[in-house]
Amino acid sequence: MSSEMTASAESSTLSTAERLRVAGLHAPDDAPADAVLSIRDLNVRFNTENGVVHAVRGIDFDLRAGRTLGIVGESGSGKSVTSMAVMGLLPETAEISGSVRLNGKELLGLSDKAMCRHRGNDLAMVFQDPLSSLTPVYTVGNQIIEALTVHNPTMTKRAKEARAVELLALVGIPSPKDRFKAFPHEFSGGMRQRVMIAIAIANNPRVLIADEPTTALDVTIQAQVLEVLHTAQEETGAAVVMITHDLGVVAGMADDIMVMYAGKPVETGSVDDIYYNPRMPYTMGLLGAVPRVDIAEKTSLVPIEGIPPNLVHTPTGCSFAPRCPLASDSCLQGEPELWAVAGENLDGGMPHKAACIKTDSLGLEVDVHEIFRAPAVPVSRFDAIPREERRTVLELRDVKKHFPLLKGALLKRRIGTVKAVDGLSFDIREGECFSIVGESGCGKTTTLLEIMEFHKDQDGEVVIGGLSNKEASDARTKSAMRKELQMVFQDPTGALDPRFTVFEVLSEPLENAGMAKAQIRKRIMELMELVGLQPDHVNRFPNQFSGGQRQRIGIARALAVNPKLVVLDEPVSALDVSVQAGVINLLDKLRAELGLSYLMVAHDLSVVRHISNRVAVMYLGKIVEIGDVDAVFDNPRHPYTRALLSAIPVPDPALERTRERIILEGDLPSPLDAPAGCNFATRCPVFAALPPARQEKCLTLEPPLEPLPAPGPGGTPAPPTDQQFACFYPDGELDADALVVHETN
Amino acid sequence: MLRYLAKRALTYAFMIFLTTTAGYFLAVSTLKPALLEQERIPRPTPEQVANSFRLKGLDPDLSPWERYVDWLTGILTRWDWGRSPNGAFINAEFGDRVWISTRLFLASIILTLIIGVALGVYTAARQYKASDRVITSYSYLVYIVPAPIAYFLVQLGAININETVGERLFFVTGISTPGLEGDGWAQFIDMLAHYAVPTFAITIVGWGTYQIAQRQYLLDNVNADFVRTARAKGLTRNQAITRHALRVSFIPVAQSIAFTIPAIFAGGFFAEKIFAWHGVGSWSIDAISLQDVNAATATLAYGSVIFAIGAILADFATTLVDPRVRVQ
Repeated sequence: MSSEMTASAESSTLSTAERLRVAGLHAPDDAPADAVLSIRDLNVRFNTENGVVHAVRGIDFDLRAGRTLGIVGESGSGKSVTSMAVMGLLPETAEISGSVRLNGKELLGLSDKAMCRHRGNDLAMVFQDPLSSLTPVYTVGNQIIEALTVHNPTMTKRAKEARAVELLALVGIPSPKDRFKAFPHEFSGGMRQRVMIAIAIANNPRVLIADEPTTALDVTIQAQVLEVLHTAQEETGAAVVMITHDLGVVAGMADDIMVMYAGKPVETGSVDDIYYNPRMPYTMGLLGAVPRVDIAEKTSLVPIEGIPPNLVHTPTGCSFAPRCPLASDSCLQGEPELWAVAGENLDGGMPHKAACIKTDSLGLEVDVHEIFRAPAVPVSRFDAIPREERRTVLELRDVKKHFPLLKGALLKRRIGTVKAVDGLSFDIREGECFSIVGESGCGKTTTLLEIMEFHKDQDGEVVIGGLSNKEASDARTKSAMRKELQMVFQDPTGALDPRFTVFEVLSEPLENAGMAKAQIRKRIMELMELVGLQPDHVNRFPNQFSGGQRQRIGIARALAVNPKLVVLDEPVSALDVSVQAGVINLLDKLRAELGLSYLMVAHDLSVVRHISNRVAVMYLGKIVEIGDVDAVFDNPRHPYTRALLSAIPVPDPALERTRERIILEGDLPSPLDAPAGCNFATRCPVFAALPPARQEKCLTLEPPLEPLPAPGPGGTPAPPTDQQFACFYPDGELDADALVVHETN
Repeated sequence: MLRYLAKRALTYAFMIFLTTTAGYFLAVSTLKPALLEQERIPRPTPEQVANSFRLKGLDPDLSPWERYVDWLTGILTRWDWGRSPNGAFINAEFGDRVWISTRLFLASIILTLIIGVALGVYTAARQYKASDRVITSYSYLVYIVPAPIAYFLVQLGAININETVGERLFFVTGISTPGLEGDGWAQFIDMLAHYAVPTFAITIVGWGTYQIAQRQYLLDNVNADFVRTARAKGLTRNQAITRHALRVSFIPVAQSIAFTIPAIFAGGFFAEKIFAWHGVGSWSIDAISLQDVNAATATLAYGSVIFAIGAILADFATTLVDPRVRVQ
């Protein structure tokens, strides 16, 4: 354990803390008296085959009880390593130096056994992936009790069981007494994350670290889990460290924010400072790179070019300089420290500091779009033509996909039907981006598969570029269809053959189409340029590119045969925020320049709003609302759309604090239990508030997809829109239990 | 559960019937015991041979189908698996053979499992340390060395010890000293002297598989997210591994163990031949070389039954250790 700056000979016998004091650095005494967690100059190094990776390079912060610190950064910025170092859960090979003090007690250097007295007791953690974080062979009750037993050996069995049931109830598990004996696999992802939170708060921790607690969850479930975290904090009064890449998630929860880049904090401050007055180009870029779900914006996103530095080599200048549009020679002279930003520290939170030598010139009046040279909003030649006059490139008429649910080993009998896609009709016109949104399990992907399947025996008609699956589905029609329609996949790494060079990846579809060799080469160079890659990189293998570049290769491959329609299956969900913006801008540009149409499936509604013209909201295999994206997002009519939109956190702290949220009950029900009437009735906040007489209609009749009713005689005439929704009571009152507002603090 | 077992047993009974039938037809059409009889001195006439076989229910003049019907009727009505060309009754021979195989393998399989799984856990906890490297390399070595060679080496070693000591401490072949007289203690010492060498040989060759499997499965789990959760609760690393990772990693191992246990009764050709314990394994080889249709089919049927029991046990073991698997 050594601090790089104080490794002088005479101090070698002193403790880390003393050495820090000798060096005039952060003496532990400078921590505020009420800080429960104080971190000083935390450094983590890993020995790898490529050399020493300096993953965390000097972190300082103090955390007071009841406050929430959001640590924001891209993957590889060192945020998770920081939390694991605090918990003492890093592998033994990691070299950790600095100081981590919990209630004034130094944690670094404690043995695993000594550390165990704190872990799970006054220091607890919630992890990212709830599906793998619980032991599959023990009941959830058992796993909660274990956390109690470790720290309270004298507690009686009955008391522990009572406490476990109480905890399960606190995190919102319905009928906790019965679920106490359930195994993790009997719980959905959101429920398991609730159990994880119950385990974490079992012993009333002083510090609760949540490492991307909602990243693996659907938005509606994310909203539920964030609510539970909120309750947990109120209940325990713990200080919370919230680690995330999603600027929206922390906007409403955090008091202070620390933005990390390349293992170092580059900007710290109160949540308002960071969101409304960022003073470090990286923070500014990050905020500009996130599309907003609540505003119809007609600007491009801010792309941050390049990739984060490799931490095997310690940066000599500002670590962000290679990607920073404002970088000058002076930025490369030594790494900037965190400078205090002029301004008042109103609420006594983290002082606003930024690690940029140009901080003072980056005031409120600076336009981030200008700095990062965000491209102009591309204009498509189709924009001027009304939608009805454009050609249809894809049409679905009453497409259904029902999976029989069978039982029995040899002789199967049908015990039910899963209606994965249940009567879907929509069309996509030229130059248009149509998105399908909904929770996982709603049938989005099945819809895409049905379109790609293109077979005569399908239930319903699929017309692609004038070719109908009902007329002919032989090999020739299929290959003609494939020329019209291409696909970009979610995971750019998995979708590219690691043994193919980019040239081979791109030439395969062209060879298939029967193009001559010389032409292929020419076309590939064109494609590389089109998607913003260097043409001389064609002989590289996919692993030599970054994630964003790989997705560009995937897009180039899809565009190779000049399709009319590109199907995008979660095209940016595997990418970091800053990289995501570049890919979204590229997709926008290609659509305008090449006159493409997109069919996109995405769970991130902000991305959908940014890129789409039209949107369909799916629930249990049916479209519940469809229409122009701005009309649907600004004036959602179906209660599910309203809940879905309200579940999305917005990167705007003031708005987040006052916003009214609709929190849906429970998970997406199994398609087997679909009621006879409206599918959504089981979770519907409007339904819950209806008098029983009117509920009857929802339960027995299936609401049809209908346009907005004509305005009454007294009302203002509604603007012409093709918005349609399937609900009997779109203006119904919402159930008060489903509404949550957080008071401003 | 009972319904499930009954269902599975029925399926397997059907499969056993199929394999046994196929085996019988194969045996009856290829094995010709009459040819061996021709080598006797004085050479019997073909008529004499045919007569003698007819009396034992092995009439070579009947068609395979007719013989199959006779054979099957005997089993179904009288549970009579027929006779060998030398006149011995299969049923009588069978019980002895199974008991011998069981005695030969029981102790060593139990030792193999315990040592293999324990060493697997030990080495996984000390991954890449010297002890792990030595033990795992050894396991791979016995993986490569053919079992008979290892058995011979152990035998040679035992003989060497005997010679060095100048007294016969170990018996390298046989089950017991024939005609040994004495009290219980002498009998016990004799038994130990006979058991030691084969048990030792089979054990040291056998545990490698379990060591490698257990080590691998445990290593897959020591860095699992749920182990990290357990540590975050306040368990030490070792506690988290023994309470959480071990149980999960044992699921696939339990399955393979379930398959091994019935194999004890089926015996192994090499060990039985080399140590001269005449169990089921060596019997099946002998049956083929002696052109014994009924014995060959009986050992085949027995093998299928053992396999079926293993499969059911494996299912059972999995449901026992893994709550995610449920019997339907």
